[in-house]
Amino acid sequence: MAFQADRCDPARAEAKVLGGVIVEARGLRKTFAGGIEALRGVSLAVRQGEVVVVVGPSGSGKSTLLRCLCGLETPDAGEVVTDGARLPGSRRDRDRIRTETGMVFQHFNLFPHLTALANVTLAPRLARGLPADRAEAEARALLGRVGLKDKTGAYPAELSGGQQQRVAIARALAMRPKVMLFDEATSALDPEMIGEVLEVMRGLAAEGMTMVVVTHEMGFAREAGDRVLFMDQGRIEEEAGAAEFFLSPRGERARRFLSRML
Amino acid sequence: MSAAPKTRVPFTRRDAALLALAGGGAALFLWRAGSGPAGGWSWSAILSFFVRRDEAGGGPLPGILLEGLRTTLALSAWSMVLALVLGAAVGLLAARPQGGARPRLLRRLCAGSFVELLRNTPPLVLAFLFYFFVGDQLLAALGVEEAARALPRGGQRLLAALAAPPARLVAFASAVLTLALYEAAYIAEIVRAGVESVERGQWEAAYALGLSPRQRLARVILPQALRRSVPALAGQFISTVKDSSIVSVISIPELTFQAMEIMAGTQRTYEIWLTVFACYLLLCLALSLASRRLERRLSAGGRR
Ligand SMILES: Nc1ncnc2c1ncn2[C@@H]1O[C@H](COP(=O)(O)OP(=O)(O)OP(=O)(O)O)[C@@H](O)[C@H]1O
Ligand SMILES: [Mg+2]
Repeated sequence: MAFQADRCDPARAEAKVLGGVIVEARGLRKTFAGGIEALRGVSLAVRQGEVVVVVGPSGSGKSTLLRCLCGLETPDAGEVVTDGARLPGSRRDRDRIRTETGMVFQHFNLFPHLTALANVTLAPRLARGLPADRAEAEARALLGRVGLKDKTGAYPAELSGGQQQRVAIARALAMRPKVMLFDEATSALDPEMIGEVLEVMRGLAAEGMTMVVVTHEMGFAREAGDRVLFMDQGRIEEEAGAAEFFLSPRGERARRFLSRML
Repeated sequence: MSAAPKTRVPFTRRDAALLALAGGGAALFLWRAGSGPAGGWSWSAILSFFVRRDEAGGGPLPGILLEGLRTTLALSAWSMVLALVLGAAVGLLAARPQGGARPRLLRRLCAGSFVELLRNTPPLVLAFLFYFFVGDQLLAALGVEEAARALPRGGQRLLAALAAPPARLVAFASAVLTLALYEAAYIAEIVRAGVESVERGQWEAAYALGLSPRQRLARVILPQALRRSVPALAGQFISTVKDSSIVSVISIPELTFQAMEIMAGTQRTYEIWLTVFACYLLLCLALSLASRRLERRLSAGGRR
């Protein structure tokens, strides 16, 4: 495991210094009803500030892995440790993992009955106990950061897909997570809106946010990713620095996957 | 979602002809009914059942029909509130959220038997059952009437205006209970369907953001579920008003009961029932319009 991001990437001006391990998964297994083995022993460790990109064919278990990391899915075996909180574990641990892990969904899942601003302030007020005015000030700043300063009063139905996803990112950031998970955040978007969302994600990465990103955007993976995990049939088949993976994938499956994606 | 575009529908000659035909039909019906055995219309008598003159020479007093209208309103209002609370509770017990686990057996059993028991029996029978068991036995044993009589005069007057005077309170309460439970069974199903219609992603987003189970339900799921249920709930409220006529069988002096009393005394059958018909129609139409308004206001805000 590289302590520092790839030095052989010429695009990267200077090597990023990573902190200690903040998210760790050990031997995750998950079998769904019907006998589908979505995860068959997945382990990974993510260092503070690292951007890990997860790629792989459809049905390889990428979403299931992310859902295990944020507590939405309970693994049959194995455990997740995020910043000292353990899953499966006590209720306090579960609540800590939920609040310290931000999740961005493929279909945004914004609350349609709330404005963009209220979407962002809801969780800080309820789960962090922030007073309304402080939550609102923070939310405005976050919405400004994702380029939606003038959309605070809009309802999700009045926003484009790209704008909705950016509100969803701001909503997750409002809980001040230690790690952000992105599950195909741009897959449901029209092509012309993918760029604006990736831009926000790049900005987050540059600011040193720890991120686990499931994506089919190979360009983003190569530029913003420190490390790439290639998943297939519920296992991590290959793990490499981003540049290395795209230049010379080791396995036959990864090579075939890449030739289809690029 | 923006409001539907306004289209002006022209009033054509065919419309005029149809309108004239309908009007003619109604007139014919009224004329036939008026020349019935009792002979001639007598609407002025009906008016006196709404407002009557004080015998002692005082001002105007509410007549027997107006009293009935008030009772119907009070009965419906109390029943609706109680039915909404009860129905929502039972509906939540039984609801299986998308992507969530099935509720525990005990919960399903309680909610299921509540709904099935009440939905599959005639409300008329329920009215008698509650009147004799709950009213005569339970409420009497609890001393409800005595408690009401012990109230100061002002309190008794308020109670009479909002519900019923002490002497009739027990019967009124069992009538409210009958209607509330009967409607609650339907409202439970409406609420359950509403909660189950909210997409799985909403629960998951709320969970991932760290909201507690109660917050997820109250702040994310229920607002959306109730919004989707407004038309069905409004329909149920309208049913409550109409079904309230059933409790006339246990001598609650509501609109229908009063009409039967007047009919027995005066033989003015057609006038009475046409008047009562119009009263119910106006009440329910008002509710119907209000719900349309509410629906439009809610969808003006963001809805997917
Ligand atoms: N709730 C579920 N119930 C049953 N099977 C499931 C469930 N969720 C996922 N699966 C199955 O588990 C396997 C892995 O699914 P997963 O969603 O993790 O794949 P993925 O890599 O995210 O795929 P995609 O790229 O299509 O999103 C698939 O075969 C899927 O059908
Ligand atoms: Mg997926």
